[in-house]
Amino acid sequence: MKNKLKYFYSYTPLIVFLILVLFFARQLILKEDPSELPSVLIDEKFPSIILSELVGYKVFSNKNLINANGPSLVNIWSSWCVPCKVEHEYLMSMSNNDNIIIYGINYKDNKAEALKVLDLNGNPFYAIGADQDGMQSINLGVYGVPETFIIDRDGNIRYRHVGPILEYDMEKIILPIINKIKQERL
Amino acid sequence: MTTIIKFIFCFFIISNSVLADNNKAAYELYKELRCLVCQNQSLLESDAPLALDLKKVVMDKIELGQSKNEIKKFLVDRYGEFILLKPKYSIQNILLWLGPILFLFIGFFVTFVFLRKQSMYKEEPLPLTNEEENSLKKILDNNVS
Repeated sequence: MKNKLKYFYSYTPLIVFLILVLFFARQLILKEDPSELPSVLIDEKFPSIILSELVGYKVFSNKNLINANGPSLVNIWSSWCVPCKVEHEYLMSMSNNDNIIIYGINYKDNKAEALKVLDLNGNPFYAIGADQDGMQSINLGVYGVPETFIIDRDGNIRYRHVGPILEYDMEKIILPIINKIKQERL
Repeated sequence: MTTIIKFIFCFFIISNSVLADNNKAAYELYKELRCLVCQNQSLLESDAPLALDLKKVVMDKIELGQSKNEIKKFLVDRYGEFILLKPKYSIQNILLWLGPILFLFIGFFVTFVFLRKQSMYKEEPLPLTNEEENSLKKILDNNVS
């Protein structure tokens, strides 16, 4: 009995080591980004926001999101934001190929620069409003650009994507959720 | 004339003390809130653009007369409890707060058991078996000859 216990004790470093390995492997395998905040607004109504106009573009408010015909995206972007340029082509693709209504919030930007980007790269947005001082985005819990929210037809936030939407995110995350919402009929 | 000067003077003092109170409350809140961009800094320490905006939100709300708890709730509702540098004392966080004490007691317990075992088994070397006695003798004899 005593010998068996000793036998066990000699394995404790190994056991502790394995526990540590599991602990670190979890983080490696799940690929959770610790800098990504958990979303608190999921399944909540999209908060009220007041945006200013970009000349020549239709502006929107949270009222447009309630009682919509289908799901929509709200994308927060800026002309000074480099990852936003990366995701731009996927926003264009979703707007043109998948007929998804995308609302844009232009975050703390120079309006002239924003207009230039839309002119040069194309406009994926159905309507667009500017949040010049960033206060409307704080109301949304935004902490960096780009961020994208998926809104269902009742105006509830269903998903929040932090960072640029890449091809993988579009195919595997955004579009499936959109399709799921489309199939929900009341 | 003097009454007007007095009045202005009083007004100045009162408004100044209100300002000082507001600043103090804001300062305390800045220290308790996390900058979401540079995550282990408080708002007070951070000059990130978002931190500056959040400080403005806090200050505006204080000037509107909102309490510290109201302001914290506003931010937690939007950014999650993560924005509080000091986690709440809630059931969900019970392990977080009591964990260290728990581990301390586990440590005490293990040490106690270990020390008791050690004092209980003072190991006496086992007497040699006949076989071992013989082989020992053989070796010794060999060495002598």
